[in-house]
Amino acid sequence: MTVFHFFNCAILTFGPHAVYYSATPLSEYDTLGTSVKAAVVYLATALVKLVCLATFLKVSESDSFDPYQEFLKALIGFIDVAGLYFALTQLTHRNISQNHKFQAVGLGWAFADSVLHRLAPLWVGARGLEFTWEYILQGLEANANLVLSISLAGLGSLMWLRKNKPKTLIPIIYLSAVIVATMPSITSYLRRGLGWHLPKVVGFELFTSLVMAFISWQLFAACQRPSA
Amino acid sequence: MAMAPRKPRNREILFDSVIALVFILVACVDLCDGATVVDVYRLIQYDMSGVPFGSRLASLNHHAASLHFSPHADLSRTVLLIPLRELNMSFVQEYIVASKPLGGLIFLLPQMFNSENKGGVGSNRDDGNKDLLKNVLAELEQILIHTNLPYPVYFAFEDDNIDNVLLDIKKNDASGQPATATTGGYKFVVSATEPKKVGSPPITNIQGWLAGLKTDGDSHQLPTIAIVASYDTFGAAPALSVGSDSNGSGIVALLEVARLFSLLYSNPKTRGQYNLLFGLTSGGPYNYNGTRKWLQSFDQRLRESIDYAICLDSIGSWENDLWIHVSKPPENAFIKQIMEDFSSVAEDLGFQVNLKHKKINISNSRVAWEHEQFSRLRVTAATLSELSTAPELLESTGGLIDGRQFVNEASIVRSVKLIAESLAKHIYGHQGKNVQIFADNSNLAVNPSYVRSWLDILSRTPRVAPFLSKDDPFITALKKELEDHTDEVHLQREVLDGMFTFYDSTTAKLNIYQVASVTFDLLLLLVLGSYLIVLFSFLVITTRGLDDLISLFRRPPSRKVKTA
Repeated sequence: MTVFHFFNCAILTFGPHAVYYSATPLSEYDTLGTSVKAAVVYLATALVKLVCLATFLKVSESDSFDPYQEFLKALIGFIDVAGLYFALTQLTHRNISQNHKFQAVGLGWAFADSVLHRLAPLWVGARGLEFTWEYILQGLEANANLVLSISLAGLGSLMWLRKNKPKTLIPIIYLSAVIVATMPSITSYLRRGLGWHLPKVVGFELFTSLVMAFISWQLFAACQRPSA
Repeated sequence: MAMAPRKPRNREILFDSVIALVFILVACVDLCDGATVVDVYRLIQYDMSGVPFGSRLASLNHHAASLHFSPHADLSRTVLLIPLRELNMSFVQEYIVASKPLGGLIFLLPQMFNSENKGGVGSNRDDGNKDLLKNVLAELEQILIHTNLPYPVYFAFEDDNIDNVLLDIKKNDASGQPATATTGGYKFVVSATEPKKVGSPPITNIQGWLAGLKTDGDSHQLPTIAIVASYDTFGAAPALSVGSDSNGSGIVALLEVARLFSLLYSNPKTRGQYNLLFGLTSGGPYNYNGTRKWLQSFDQRLRESIDYAICLDSIGSWENDLWIHVSKPPENAFIKQIMEDFSSVAEDLGFQVNLKHKKINISNSRVAWEHEQFSRLRVTAATLSELSTAPELLESTGGLIDGRQFVNEASIVRSVKLIAESLAKHIYGHQGKNVQIFADNSNLAVNPSYVRSWLDILSRTPRVAPFLSKDDPFITALKKELEDHTDEVHLQREVLDGMFTFYDSTTAKLNIYQVASVTFDLLLLLVLGSYLIVLFSFLVITTRGLDDLISLFRRPPSRKVKTA
């Protein structure tokens, strides 16, 4: 049941990415190159974040929630946003519509994130004899992360790529973007400061990702109307 | 152009790094341990004259069950986890003696039998039935030692982790579902190598010589008195056989007597005209094999100069009676002398010493007492012991029940006084007079803290001879201690004689895994498969429309319709 369990958790963690790619028109327009480029940008961003974390953060002995450290981590988290900006605007994409561009970038981003953060623990842990729910919850977290990444990429494309936006919607767009970007800090506050257990935290992540995805979708549709 | 050669090189580097990463990942195969890891100690595995006894296997990989298994369950691939408190002899008879097939056995012993446990603390359960448990364990030990068990048998101590696991297992068993591959439960894994024969089991005899006062012009060699104790043990779990009473008490008494007489002999004015020979022999449980080899190494003159030898065996938990066992008839002059010395001192100290005579049967190879080896070589000897009858082969050899808390250091102190005063009576010729050389509060008093500290050390050192290498630090420590108290110390290194063969692998770590059943994994696969399919359909519908989804399944017929 060990390799079987690993296989199960792997398809839970990485399956949705493949399904998303093949189910939506992304596969028809062959946007794989964009996703790969976005994944590479994510790797570079992760490296930069690592260096910053190592330089500016001090190692805390206790597992409690230190506001100052968390604030620093959130600031460093904005490097993520900068990386996403770079991927959306600076990379030369072939002629793909903006609609598909942000989806491809978000997909590549989320896939790289899952591979980097979840593949190694899965390989080492899920193949043992001991059964824990941890890896299934991790897979669900990967799903929530996919939705969040695509929402963030969508909001990012709205912010930086679309020139004429309805004035009233601009603050909402920026607010949603900030919320999505600070999701990691929020979850770590929940886990450490409030002491929520993993299933609860994952449930919260799933719920908020769906909510934010819905909001971004509505914003995108609203911004699409004038130019269409 | 410059791009073309660069691309393949990049690809090569990427390829190499991916290969390296794969290798690293594959190497992390067995990194995760079970939720619980417990120290377990294996039942001894030995052959006696070619007949196998004990547990013949060491590695274990089966599902666990408790004593509440359903009566018709097939246990040949199950490990039974049995706490000693719930063991009853009918189960032992039915399953162990009758050799029913089992995957393995793990006995959970209460903490009070744990020699690492200081002062018997740690068990908050009612140990009022200590004696009952002790008897059950003694009986179990004897049965296990003399049975051939073709599956792994381990001993472990109760602690919180394994107690919780046992409760869980009992709950599972009570609900009628034995743990197998399809229903989940606990899996016990001990990864141990195949037990190998111990090639030449070493026996090391340690002797210390304290020379007496030789007045000049004395042409005859001085007579010698020997004090001997065997120091090794044998028990059901060799890693736990510390033998505090049998024969830790004897060793401690010998060392203390040596210390006292070395004080007396250090001054030529108080040195007696007897040599003292102290012997710590090995191979005790195996018909005192080591003692025989030690005696055979003596040269003729030394053997003839021994007036008598006193062997010490289990003198740590008696109340009012000690026995002196002899094989020469009680009318023998030396035996009479010994009895007189010992009983008069005993009377002064307030207890009784009894004489027991057991003839040696030369044709029988069984040597029940150590003094019999001396008697077979025509040296007068006696054994001082609290046991009134001779133990059988491999009985009372310091097994699982012989722990620190069952030994009374006051008894050892009294025994030391008895031995020392009686020897002094003989050496200094104070026959009949009421003299106390080793009186309390004198500088020759018996030192209880010396006794206690050595007893504590011995109660933490398992001493089964085949597993004590000749350079073992314990043997070196005994040698050093004797060197402090005597003039000359010799080590005699021998090999245990052929009747016994031992196998190694005495301790291991038990990994306890909580496993999910195969049906759970299949169910999960089903759920995930349907989730992905639903996700796929949802995405196709929302981004491309419902028609596209249907067209995915109906493409061939629609083409036919078009051409028609």
